[in-house]
Amino acid sequence: MIEVSSLTKTYGKKRGIDRISFTIGEGEIVGFLGPNGAGKTTTMNIITGYLSANSGAARIGGIDVLEDPLEAKKRIGYLPEQPPLYLDMTVEEYLNFIYDLKGVKTPRRRPHLEEICQLVGLTDHYKRVCRNLSKGYKQRVGLAQALVGNPEVLILDEPTVGLDPKQIIEIRNVIKNLGRNRTIILSTHILQEVSAICERVLVINNGRIVADDRPENLSALITGDRKLIYRVAGPRESVRRIIRSVEGVQFADVTVQAEKGSYDFLVEAKPNVDIRKPLFAALARAGYPILQIKSMDLSLEDIFIKLVDEKRKTSLPHNKQPKRAEAELSTGSAPEPEPGAEDGPPDSGGIPFAEAEEKDGEA
Amino acid sequence: MSAILKRDLRAYFTSPLGYVFMAAYLIIMNGVFYALNMLTGKNNLTGVYSVMLYALMVLVPILTMRTFSEDYKQRTDQLLLTSPVKPAGIVLGKFLAAYLMFIISLAFTVIQVVIVSAVGTVNMAVVIGNYIAILAVSAVYIAIGVFISSLTESQLVAAIATLGVNVGLFLIDYSYELINLNWIKSIIYWVSLYRRFNTFYVGVFSVADFFYYVSAAAVFLFLTVRVLEKKRWS
Repeated sequence: MIEVSSLTKTYGKKRGIDRISFTIGEGEIVGFLGPNGAGKTTTMNIITGYLSANSGAARIGGIDVLEDPLEAKKRIGYLPEQPPLYLDMTVEEYLNFIYDLKGVKTPRRRPHLEEICQLVGLTDHYKRVCRNLSKGYKQRVGLAQALVGNPEVLILDEPTVGLDPKQIIEIRNVIKNLGRNRTIILSTHILQEVSAICERVLVINNGRIVADDRPENLSALITGDRKLIYRVAGPRESVRRIIRSVEGVQFADVTVQAEKGSYDFLVEAKPNVDIRKPLFAALARAGYPILQIKSMDLSLEDIFIKLVDEKRKTSLPHNKQPKRAEAELSTGSAPEPEPGAEDGPPDSGGIPFAEAEEKDGEA
Repeated sequence: MSAILKRDLRAYFTSPLGYVFMAAYLIIMNGVFYALNMLTGKNNLTGVYSVMLYALMVLVPILTMRTFSEDYKQRTDQLLLTSPVKPAGIVLGKFLAAYLMFIISLAFTVIQVVIVSAVGTVNMAVVIGNYIAILAVSAVYIAIGVFISSLTESQLVAAIATLGVNVGLFLIDYSYELINLNWIKSIIYWVSLYRRFNTFYVGVFSVADFFYYVSAAAVFLFLTVRVLEKKRWS
């Protein structure tokens, strides 16, 4: 449904995105995951025809966005980063305007707009002026706008930004329901969002796709359940000794003294080992109660580094992106690094690893 | 296109802007009418129309300053440019909205014709010719304003720059009388919006001058389309 081939966009000397390629099938919900400034919005703006790429092409249902912009745009509903509302209009007037603007023909106007409002939960605010709506409701109007005319493709740029937790869950459900009969791309920098909504994740960093996989396959990284923080009441040294003695524990150390007489321990399990039961048993035998367990939240940067790092170690047989590998190879930019030579400082970002991984996969 | 036209025209009436323009325009025009025709008892309305030219120089920026600037600011340009409408359709929609707003205001000045013809005779041919000429000149003014608005996201900058350009055109026209070199005069004649209006002022309907205005307006609208198209490549 959406084909993007080696899109490149530069802003002056700075590269916005660099040879991004992917294909999205009909009915897929795909998440763009990446930190701010990674190139998610640029990619979306190019697909929707708001920006033009310096090279490469984007096709919607086989129609090139540059060659036949009107036909391509008819198939897309776009919610930009900032919902494009005319603040002086009421929601009703605004949606009617969008209906006219998009030249919608098929469904009857009133029931169509009412259905959309019901879907995104705007019915009570239908007569209100956009200026007076809260951020969350503006976001809903933006989403409603994208839905007018039942486009086959929805492109949503950070659709849950600025919403409160309850609204976030509502909107996520709306998007999930919409995805039953539509192709959806959404961008986010929230890890949980991807695993909650998407069937497939494209991780973008510094203008390149670092990973393209199903969230389950990335879930160990995304949920970070291998690293746990235990709060245990007891003397520091002996608790640490006990934790370290448990089978399956790769690493354990004290982080802070949490409350009086108890400490927080960062515990990392070996891959594919559930250490929670043995750890409980061991600490219970010693009489040190566990006060709290929580999984450690990983930052996006950590994810990128881990993602490419782990893939490099394990992924030789199942490289999932032959297409992209070709594109990467043709750049011929960096010389092939020695395996293991690029265990550089953690702030070196994901890119060097990504390249290493690609080339390993190709070889 | 018609959706944009409808929305923009409506926006003039749901915000003070349209009313401010209309009020200022009508106060000036009727003041001039009072001074030139009512007090003196003349039946020749062309004086009013030539003053209108100068009034529009100042007033049109109010009308056009927000056409694109406001969209840039609210990011609604993103909506327009990703909707299945050609850039030319967007520009034309916005231009026609401002133009229609002006025509609505202009329609109120027809009352002056009615008043004069009630107490005296009016040369209808001249009046109609002048109205057509005004419609042509104002299209140029508005096209310039729309063009300048498409260059900036600040309404204030758009308004002041448009005013500046209009005053500049006026000054160029003013220098026509002061310069003796013929080739400069002929350049000024081609650039000046006011010079050509004189033919209408004296009661001649000049088809050539009419098309001069129409094509000048078309040039600025075309430039605006180019600005929108260029935005994609920024």
